[in-house]
Amino acid sequence: MGNSWMREEFGQEVAQLAEQYEAKKINRRDFMKRLGMAGIGVTAAATILAACGGGDDAGTPTTAGAAAAPTTTEGPMQPVTGGTLREGYNRDVSKHDPLTTNWYDPAFFAIYEAILSNDPSGATVPQFASDFSVSDDGLEYRFTIPEGKLSHSGGTIDAEMVAEFYRAVQEFSFIAGLAAPVDTYDAEGNEVVVKMKNAWIGALGPHKTGYWRIININTWKESTLTDEGEINVESTYGTEFADGTGPFTHEEWVPGSHVLVNRWEDYPGTQTPFLENKGKAYLDAIRWTVITESGQRATQLENGDIDTLIGPAPQDISRLESNSDLTTIRHPEWSGYHLAMNRDYDEFFGDVLTRQGLSHALDRQGMVDAILFGNGAPTLGPFPTTDRQYEPAVEEFNQFDIDLANQKLDEAGWVLGADGVRERAGFKFEFEYLVEDETVQKAVAEAVAQQFSVVGVDAQLNVVDRAVAFEFQSGEGRDAAPMSLFFWLWPIPLDVLILFGGSQFIPVPNFSHAVEPRIDAAIETWLASATDAEAQAASSEFQLAWAEQLPYLPIMNQNATFVHNNKVHGWQPFVWNLYPYYNDTWIEA
Amino acid sequence: MVAEQTSTHIEEWNRQLAEYEESQHVDGFKRVLSRMRRNKLLVLGSALGLVLLGAGIFGPWISGVNYTAQNFQKTHLPPGSEGYLLGSDGLGRDIAVRLFMGLRVSLIVAAGVTALALVAGIVLGMASGFLGGWTDRGIRGVVDFVWGFPLILVAVLFAGGLGEGLFPVILAVGLVNTAAIARVVRGEVLALSEKEFIEAARAGGLSTFRIMWRHIFPNILAPALVLASYYVAVAVIAEAALSFIGLGAQPPTPSLGQMVADGRNFLRLNHWESTLPGITIVILVLSVSLIGDGLRDVFDPRLRHEAKGIDRE
Repeated sequence: MGNSWMREEFGQEVAQLAEQYEAKKINRRDFMKRLGMAGIGVTAAATILAACGGGDDAGTPTTAGAAAAPTTTEGPMQPVTGGTLREGYNRDVSKHDPLTTNWYDPAFFAIYEAILSNDPSGATVPQFASDFSVSDDGLEYRFTIPEGKLSHSGGTIDAEMVAEFYRAVQEFSFIAGLAAPVDTYDAEGNEVVVKMKNAWIGALGPHKTGYWRIININTWKESTLTDEGEINVESTYGTEFADGTGPFTHEEWVPGSHVLVNRWEDYPGTQTPFLENKGKAYLDAIRWTVITESGQRATQLENGDIDTLIGPAPQDISRLESNSDLTTIRHPEWSGYHLAMNRDYDEFFGDVLTRQGLSHALDRQGMVDAILFGNGAPTLGPFPTTDRQYEPAVEEFNQFDIDLANQKLDEAGWVLGADGVRERAGFKFEFEYLVEDETVQKAVAEAVAQQFSVVGVDAQLNVVDRAVAFEFQSGEGRDAAPMSLFFWLWPIPLDVLILFGGSQFIPVPNFSHAVEPRIDAAIETWLASATDAEAQAASSEFQLAWAEQLPYLPIMNQNATFVHNNKVHGWQPFVWNLYPYYNDTWIEA
Repeated sequence: MVAEQTSTHIEEWNRQLAEYEESQHVDGFKRVLSRMRRNKLLVLGSALGLVLLGAGIFGPWISGVNYTAQNFQKTHLPPGSEGYLLGSDGLGRDIAVRLFMGLRVSLIVAAGVTALALVAGIVLGMASGFLGGWTDRGIRGVVDFVWGFPLILVAVLFAGGLGEGLFPVILAVGLVNTAAIARVVRGEVLALSEKEFIEAARAGGLSTFRIMWRHIFPNILAPALVLASYYVAVAVIAEAALSFIGLGAQPPTPSLGQMVADGRNFLRLNHWESTLPGITIVILVLSVSLIGDGLRDVFDPRLRHEAKGIDRE
């Protein structure tokens, strides 16, 4: 990539650094550090990083369109206050309540702050806290909460409030198991003290996600808890109001349509080091429009109906990249399409040979090419290949091989019937295959079902809406569908995949109801990992056990793609956090 | 002696009445066939319908290609591509074969809906119009209730109860169409009930069932068939619409509406994936509508005269 614009815009030193980075003479972290030392702001550094592309670390973004030119950097332009950012979003919206939602959307990054965040290089930095530390034995974390922190209602958010919120996460959140090694949350003065059951290198990860984003717990309890201390399912917290800590306030939440947040004028500011704007936001408001029609997303951006877009349809990405009015940013995403096989249908999925036979029948690269238009990668184990902990040895398993698929199914005792469907012990190999009515998932499901039919397996598709799909995925025993397709998205794959694979999480979210001792043991080791090496060993074993035992069939992961109009500045999504922050975002007048 | 004479007289009366109706029926049938042959719209619609019917029944078989067979290396091909007469879809499946299968699905749904609506609509309409009283009030209440619901809402309710698929679609569309046919049949029956030959049949002591079967039914069959032909078109459109929103045939079974829906995300890449099934729906509905219009011309002399301008003169 030519770096002449960098030389012109940022000087010789930055251009040389970029060349060194592109030549892989320095790693990303050093590159970012040296950019900082050269006086480059973090947003500008992120843009330079994006423009360099093809880095040495996972998560390196590629940027096309005008991103190669410095139009999204500060340059001579000064941020303008005002305006509403209109953002297209590819999913329906979830309620703005970190404690009770089962998905978190970009609005969480506007309404709430987390105690920590990832920076553009993937390093952990403070956000709501001003500082944090970990004891030498790894059994205690301390987060300093600065004075003057408020919530949208004006309530003071001190260390005790944060600790109490975290205790509520432990008690009420369905995903609290992500931080299982955490023992207690307490406050000491202005510090939140986290005591661990054991030293665990992954302790900070969950605290950076949407489910641990800090709310005013008093408001939540008043609105959401019954007198008996149970969650009132009719609570309107997160739908009609929210009491967050981020730079924007909840205004409107209309599922299937849009979400609106307004600038919080009393925002006390952020400690997040990579955000240049430490004070209140530039934008007056942000409006996310739900665009579930995949073909409509790019069109709305091109027509000027929206300014930014999360998740264009794969078939539109190359067109958007060639549009000089737009900038397209692509990251290898920490996500995956997986097939759950309900083990309570033991006659079908009870033996590993059968599961392996099914897996070998899948042409994953073909599906990536046809359905994602190449904007993704096949997964032969549970993790995306670009994850920092990815274990390449999983590639020994699950390769596309029809002969091997048939051989495995034969060995498993499945005999081809006269109608082309296999049979074993009086059972025909035909079952219901549940999938959510979403464009890509439906295409993946159809492609998979057809590939199964080639080896004599009749997977009968049942396409249902999202809520019904979840209901039938999460049933107990044989109440859950025999097979279902699902999509996960999480900044640290291992954290969420232990929930899908761990036997203690049956039936939800272990939709396969799989009990795999090897996987359980790997999870236990991971949750007790105190060093990087221990964590990598546990992670590798987890991936290998998954790839071999196949509690689920991994299929593929897709790229995270973000596009913005070049009049939008300071909107810099990076993969480590899933979504962008909006503190620095402004729109040219 | 008087009673015996009266009985003989009535039997003779009924015999002559039956003979007269039979002769009218045979002559009428010849006249109808003749009118049908002369009706160009009906002939055109029937020809189109036969072609589509043939494509739906024999197309997949003649092509020799499985409609689910996919080729990830040959996706989104335009018509005329090698090995793909009408191109391929996003999974590299042959659009032509899927169109044939989609046609078959549409025709099955249309046939199922029409059969259900015609039988149930005629039975309910005749019972309501001829029996009157509580039977009439009860049937009319139910029919008006069903008729008041939008078709899509009924379909969604059925899909909620029975799951997605063709069966709920046939039931839902059939139910609404039943209400439509029952209303018209009831009106026809009420008008017929006042006719002399019905009075004569009643005076002759024929049972209610026999009057309905022998004298009412043949006279309401033609308008019911004409109406049913119109509702075939409604059924085709309804099935396409329901499949478009995901309530119809389940993948991988193709339906025309579902193909339009799947292709709409690739309009800029290969619009044929949507436009071809869309055009097929248009031709199918046009064909059925032409048949319906033609049948109406044939069976309803007043309309035929209106068309010729006789009334205006």
